[in-house]
Amino acid sequence: MLEIQNLHVKLEDEPREILKGLSLTVKPGEVHAIMGPNGSGKSTLSYVLSGRAGYEVTDGSVSFKGENLLEMDPNMRAAKGVFLAFQYPIEIPGVATMQFLKVALNAQRKARGEKELSIPDFMRFVKERAAKLNISQEMLKRPVNVGFSGGEKKRAEILQMAVLEPSLCILDETDSGLDIDALKVVADGVNALRSPDRAMIVITHYQRLLDYIVPDFVHVLSAGKIVKSGGKELAHELEANGYAEFVEKVA
Amino acid sequence: MNIALIKTPAEEAFGISLPHRRMEEWRWTDLRARIDRPYPAHQNTVVAKIDVDRLIASSPFAKIKTHRIVFVNGSWDQAHSNFTGLTFEMGVPTSSAIDDPLIHLNGAIEPAGLTLRFESNMDVLVEIMHITTKGAARSMALRNCIEVADGASATIIETYLGEGDYVLSSVMEFEIGLGARLDRVKVEHESASATHLSHVVTSLAKDAKLNEFTLTSGGALNRQNGTYTFVGENADAKIAGAYLLNNKQHADTRLVVDHAVPHCTSRETFKCVMDDHARGIFQGKVIVRKHAQKTDGKQSSHALLLSEFAEFDAKPELEIYADDVVCGHGATAGDINLDHLFYLRSRGIPEAEAKSLLIAAFVGEAFDNVVHDGLRDALVNYAANWLQVRKNV
Amino acid sequence: MADQDTIELVKTIEVDKYKYGFETDIESDYAPKGLNEDIVRFISDKKGEPQWMLDWRLEAYRSWLHMENPTWAKVSFPKIDYQDLYYYAAPKSMAAPKSLDEIDPKLLETYAKLGIPLKEQEILAGVRKQGEKSMLDDDGNEVITGRVAIDAVFDSVSVVTTFKDELKKADVIFCSISEALREHPDLVKQYLGSVVPQGDNFYAGLNSAVFSDGSFVYVPPGVRCPMELSTYFRMNAKNTGQFERTLIIADKGAYVSYLEGCTAPTREESQLHAAVVELIAHEDAEIKYSTVQNWYPGDAEGKGGVYNFVTKRGDCRGARSKISWTQVETGSAITWKYPSVILRGDSSRGEFYSIAISNGKQQVDSGTKMIHLGKNSSSRIVSKGIAAGRSDNTYRGLVSAHRKATYARNFTQCDSLLIGDQCGAHTVPYIESKTSTAQFEHEATTSKISDDQMFYCMSRGLSQEEAVALIVNGFVRDVLQQLPMEFMAETQKLIGISLEGSVG
Repeated sequence: MLEIQNLHVKLEDEPREILKGLSLTVKPGEVHAIMGPNGSGKSTLSYVLSGRAGYEVTDGSVSFKGENLLEMDPNMRAAKGVFLAFQYPIEIPGVATMQFLKVALNAQRKARGEKELSIPDFMRFVKERAAKLNISQEMLKRPVNVGFSGGEKKRAEILQMAVLEPSLCILDETDSGLDIDALKVVADGVNALRSPDRAMIVITHYQRLLDYIVPDFVHVLSAGKIVKSGGKELAHELEANGYAEFVEKVA
Repeated sequence: MNIALIKTPAEEAFGISLPHRRMEEWRWTDLRARIDRPYPAHQNTVVAKIDVDRLIASSPFAKIKTHRIVFVNGSWDQAHSNFTGLTFEMGVPTSSAIDDPLIHLNGAIEPAGLTLRFESNMDVLVEIMHITTKGAARSMALRNCIEVADGASATIIETYLGEGDYVLSSVMEFEIGLGARLDRVKVEHESASATHLSHVVTSLAKDAKLNEFTLTSGGALNRQNGTYTFVGENADAKIAGAYLLNNKQHADTRLVVDHAVPHCTSRETFKCVMDDHARGIFQGKVIVRKHAQKTDGKQSSHALLLSEFAEFDAKPELEIYADDVVCGHGATAGDINLDHLFYLRSRGIPEAEAKSLLIAAFVGEAFDNVVHDGLRDALVNYAANWLQVRKNV
Repeated sequence: MADQDTIELVKTIEVDKYKYGFETDIESDYAPKGLNEDIVRFISDKKGEPQWMLDWRLEAYRSWLHMENPTWAKVSFPKIDYQDLYYYAAPKSMAAPKSLDEIDPKLLETYAKLGIPLKEQEILAGVRKQGEKSMLDDDGNEVITGRVAIDAVFDSVSVVTTFKDELKKADVIFCSISEALREHPDLVKQYLGSVVPQGDNFYAGLNSAVFSDGSFVYVPPGVRCPMELSTYFRMNAKNTGQFERTLIIADKGAYVSYLEGCTAPTREESQLHAAVVELIAHEDAEIKYSTVQNWYPGDAEGKGGVYNFVTKRGDCRGARSKISWTQVETGSAITWKYPSVILRGDSSRGEFYSIAISNGKQQVDSGTKMIHLGKNSSSRIVSKGIAAGRSDNTYRGLVSAHRKATYARNFTQCDSLLIGDQCGAHTVPYIESKTSTAQFEHEATTSKISDDQMFYCMSRGLSQEEAVALIVNGFVRDVLQQLPMEFMAETQKLIGISLEGSVG
């Protein structure tokens, strides 16, 4: 599904390279965790995959379902099935969450040549998924992320994921700022979306989240490269020993 | 339509035309109508040293040690001035012509003045003082230029004091060099029947910093213009002011902050207190030129009206031609917040005192722009005295 | 996102996607070109007006001759040759007596094309909604639109007014001002010019002399108008100025909500539109006046387009009366418009909600005046300006409290959004307080759409233009909510269309 080869990325305005030859293969149904210390390039990877401006790919390639992902605008990537759950979801004043979901879903369906959902179908569809994430009707009326608590923002991100039904979910530090109860709700929401034809990349600093979203593979990202890969037990190893080993290796 | 065709006696005497309310910038201060009699220039007034000393002693900063450069009745007073360690040149600076009615008026009166240059960090306070002694109705003018060289820093105080009926015109130019810093404090405490007209032209080079505060409390009629132009990036201007006005005083401040280059920051904070029949006006314009991206410009003007006959007018203006900017202004006008007043009284503070406390707190925010502790304390004292006099009436 | 490729791509998109630019091929009656007393007489005669009305017009014309056009607004345009215009144009077929069935089918077709149904049975049957997407309100509920009575004005004359009978049952008078002059001359005489006098300003003076048609509304004491009233203005004839006059009176305790819409054909020459609207609210009455202004804005190079020089003023004449202006300004090459409220009555209330969008080379100078004269009067101003392309967008407003307006209150919020670095957004508020008990609060901000917001929306599948439209619609939400429900969805779409080609 996703094939990243020797990806080199730097900021547009700075010469410093952030990703230095990252390679990763993700197949449908798989959950990959990417762990790493601060500044290792985790968030950069998520932004480059979703197409945020300000990054320059100097080498390497990313193919998604056989197409060159890097050539596409962010909205095309979304229509093709890429979804990024933001570490810091953006506030959009004045736009009700419900309205936002409708516009986004219909834009994607249109891009894929599908028909728009009827209003009642759409409402039913959203309400059902919102209920599972403890998201109230009242919250759906509020403007996107405006005045949401940390936990509400993360739940709203997972709701968007559930409504837009992407084939590749990238979760960027979805656990940050969540207490244990909120973490469980979010993890349950994510787990409910696991399916044989959907892949996930879970980016996290801590192993804690991976107790709830159990990955098939764990990769350690350090200084812009994957320096070690393994099964879920690798996460526990990291929890016990920290990242020191990897940081030193590069240094 | 063109009312300016017929010259008023004052215009005849000055030999120029005065701005009037048909001019947008003068809609609230009709100078042509307000200056209703001639004020001849260069009148020889007999000056008694005792009068000058008495007036100097009445300055809010009288007890603060400063290097004073004193002008009396529009002429330099060498005896009262102290230039130790200062680089200066007497004589009116010859600078580029600016088309502004107040500058034309200044020229018509033929000002006295000097150019003062700060080459490095000066830790002395330099005070430029203008004293008007009692005498026939007349007009006087000053024009000074202050240059703060690259990397230098300076504190300039301007104090205007006087007695009697007169028109004083002051033009000040400030050039703040690369990475230079200027702290400017002005106190306008002219006589109760005076007209004070000032125009300040300030330019800020790259990384320059300006901290400015003006207290307007004297004079019958005040008009103070200021233009601040950013000519280098990353400069920062903090411009604050306070009005403490009563009786029939009229004060009109018009500031233009011109963001001509990117990455500069400006803050304007004005706190205006009007009592009796006083009228306060604040006009502030922030211009962000094309390409002046990342400008951060904010302006606030707040008015407290203490009497049902007091007035406040404001025109906080934004003119913006660059998109990546954060600009805004806030303006309020009203009387003392009754909830606040009630709260203080419920704690046992008598009404008059509670009011004074709230007014002092209101203007106090503008005083925070004064960096020098001694100067700030002196201004706080000045406000306290003003409030004490008010309370006793 | 905003890389060079995108910029180039966007440049190729036509800015002027004006959808109402078609012209109706219909034979018209014109007054001779130019302006003089005879033309004023011609118009008055055409309308069969009483002598006092002609005298009133002539008085206006004579004072207009001595007036100069205002120059204080931040707009520029070539001098208008007032002798090179037609001041009256009417479809020839209008000479026949009118009932809906007798109207020229070309006119009906024109309005149908504009999405304005004039046949009551069609409106009742919901024809209008066919093929239209449903919309959600902010609560996610489907919106059911209600009925609207329409006065359709085509060039200088009113074509038809719908739902007249039903309104008559409620004692509401809703007709063209020409008809009002014939049927209710006393009411017109009493109120016309009482808010905007003939000599008020240059354009109002011109309008007073040559106004052709417009709407008249009178809601008697205690009556709540049973439906939305609406006038749809269509400029069609070439080289013809449109000068309509609207007069709305809500008598004691009455309520009326009124909406006007406007479009014009795409033409190379600029067209002048100088309307006057007067509102009078008596004791406890309320008038809600909404405008969706979509006159032809000119092309991307600023060629053509309507000069919209309009005087709109409401008079809160009675205690506790309320006047609320809501405007969505997307069209016109130049907008010069300041819907104002004179808060004469004690405890009266004035509101001004505005969305002004400028793109291409449009120039907008718009705002309001809230003149507080009565005790405890209150006003609220919410203005959202969006400048894109190479346009200039200015908010100009005055809030003043007279000495007797004790405890007057005003709250003003002025926000500007800039899209691109070739446009300008300006804020010019005037605040005048002559009483200590008045509380005025004014806030203004200027910013741009953040890159983060754009990326977030696009990462959810929205195209660049969809993202801009969505974010702008959020930005203007406080004002949109003030519009009658029937017009919200269309307005949201209109905002999207107006901003097409603005990104890059």
